[in-house]
Amino acid sequence: MYRQILYVQWCALRLPVVLLGVLAFALPLLTVTYGGGLEGAPPGQVAQWLYAAQQIGQLVPYVAMLAGVLLGIGSWAPDHAGKHVYALSLPVTRARYVWLRFAAGTTLLLVPVTAIGIGALVATVSVRLPSGVHAYPLALTARFLLASFVCYAIFFTIAISTRRAALAVLGGIGGLLLADAVLWGFGVGATVTPTVFMWLTNWPGPLSILIGRWALFDV
Amino acid sequence: MSRTFAVGLALVACAGGARAQTGRGAARRSHALLAQAQSLWRGIAVRDSVANARTAWERRARRFDAGPLTVLLPDAVGTETGFRITAGAAEYLRDALPARFLAVRVVVALAATGVDSTVRTERLRNRARIPVGVEPRPDTLADGWSVAAAVAWDYRETLDSTWRGWLPPDLGLGWTPKRDGPATVRELMRGDTRVGAGCLEGKVDACRLWLGLDADTEPYKVRYRPRELQALVSGRWFPTHQSAELAQQCAAEARDACLRLTSLGYLPPIPAGPSPRASFVRFVLTRSRPGALPQALQDRAGSVGDRLVRATGVAEDSLVQGWRAWVLTEGGMPEVTANLRDAWPVAVFAGLLVLAAARSGRWR
Repeated sequence: MYRQILYVQWCALRLPVVLLGVLAFALPLLTVTYGGGLEGAPPGQVAQWLYAAQQIGQLVPYVAMLAGVLLGIGSWAPDHAGKHVYALSLPVTRARYVWLRFAAGTTLLLVPVTAIGIGALVATVSVRLPSGVHAYPLALTARFLLASFVCYAIFFTIAISTRRAALAVLGGIGGLLLADAVLWGFGVGATVTPTVFMWLTNWPGPLSILIGRWALFDV
Repeated sequence: MSRTFAVGLALVACAGGARAQTGRGAARRSHALLAQAQSLWRGIAVRDSVANARTAWERRARRFDAGPLTVLLPDAVGTETGFRITAGAAEYLRDALPARFLAVRVVVALAATGVDSTVRTERLRNRARIPVGVEPRPDTLADGWSVAAAVAWDYRETLDSTWRGWLPPDLGLGWTPKRDGPATVRELMRGDTRVGAGCLEGKVDACRLWLGLDADTEPYKVRYRPRELQALVSGRWFPTHQSAELAQQCAAEARDACLRLTSLGYLPPIPAGPSPRASFVRFVLTRSRPGALPQALQDRAGSVGDRLVRATGVAEDSLVQGWRAWVLTEGGMPEVTANLRDAWPVAVFAGLLVLAAARSGRWR
């Protein structure tokens, strides 16, 4: 059953998956377009190169988010288009079907993850780094996997949620903003929305993986 | 505006009076107008004096304390803001300055009035005053940094020449990894000096030279290459004729002129700017025992590095290595990691989401 679901999902998502794979492969290689022979290079060149590498590294979480969003929403696109007839025709429970869809999407997510891993490894072996600067191809790939996975899970759930659940989420966000407005109106210094945001993006917040250090080459 | 109007009215009345010498009725009218203008003028004067008195009352000095730190702020800042400013300043200065220094100083906001009487009544007469140029608006005082910077500046002046030459003006106490870390890293990455580039690459000796931690007998010779000195001279303004001439010769690759120019003191003997040195102070403050930095600042023997080693009990190379890693990783932020610690919140959150998705959906 999993293989059939995976095949259906691949048919629906092959274009974004391939494009994401190409993008993820190219991103680490952009880092080394400035040159590869840094051993014994002038100090200014090393510094500029490292700075550029770190700037390019900042793009990686955005690609991870993009992968998560596209695959998360795309996982349910055929079902939405077919009014869920295909799902209802299958001899499986809904919970099992959701898990199968999720697993198939996660498998497809491995394509850009593998691509970034290969790109990072190619970029790493193509440069001769000066002492004090290190390459982190595996750590970058693992971070990419975790970041894209959490984004994928979020958008996968949003895409299949009921209208009531969507309203609850929107209501929650609206409630936070309203609470801030009320607190501000009463002259209370506390703020709710930034606190929630901090909670989400600081460890052990689930989105903390998106924040932090993203660089293929670092000290 | 109303004062201008009143003066204008008076002028009109006078002019009217001059013209109306011929008729009794006209003269009466002009007198009435003049009286009205004078009355207006008196009203304005009273209102101004009331406003002035009110401003003076609002600006009268009020004492705020936080530990050994005493601050006189205008009353207009309010109780809560005043205490927040003082506590904020004390937090900046915590573990950095000796308490006995703060105990004999009082910080006085320049905008405050009646300072002398407050000093008398609050028994602060024996304390030296540190002026702080802040407006009596709470937002300009921010989180107490203005007060802390004024105290730090004053304290720096009491230190010996080695410290004064090395420390940033505010002792580096306001440096934070998140806000100022990128500027420090950019300076390190600029690579305009050999020692700076060496430090970036991880050479401890180069870091020591770049930060100017050692008492080098010829700092310009060991910390800069001739070409770097020439680059330092170009585009810089020199105030005296002699220095400007030497700068021209230096730029034209006359090495002796560069060295003579350095002896005049117009070029920085330390390649690292104030931001990296501030980061070093902050690093020592963060990673060493309380009281280590004040002890080092009170030490008057040897180089900056020697003093820090004595106060912290950590070898200079270890200190420098620790500082480099700390600065380059934005204050101890992990480098590029992806471990179990990062993975479990993601796994738990994703699991919960999929469970929620499996429980209810569009076709249930």
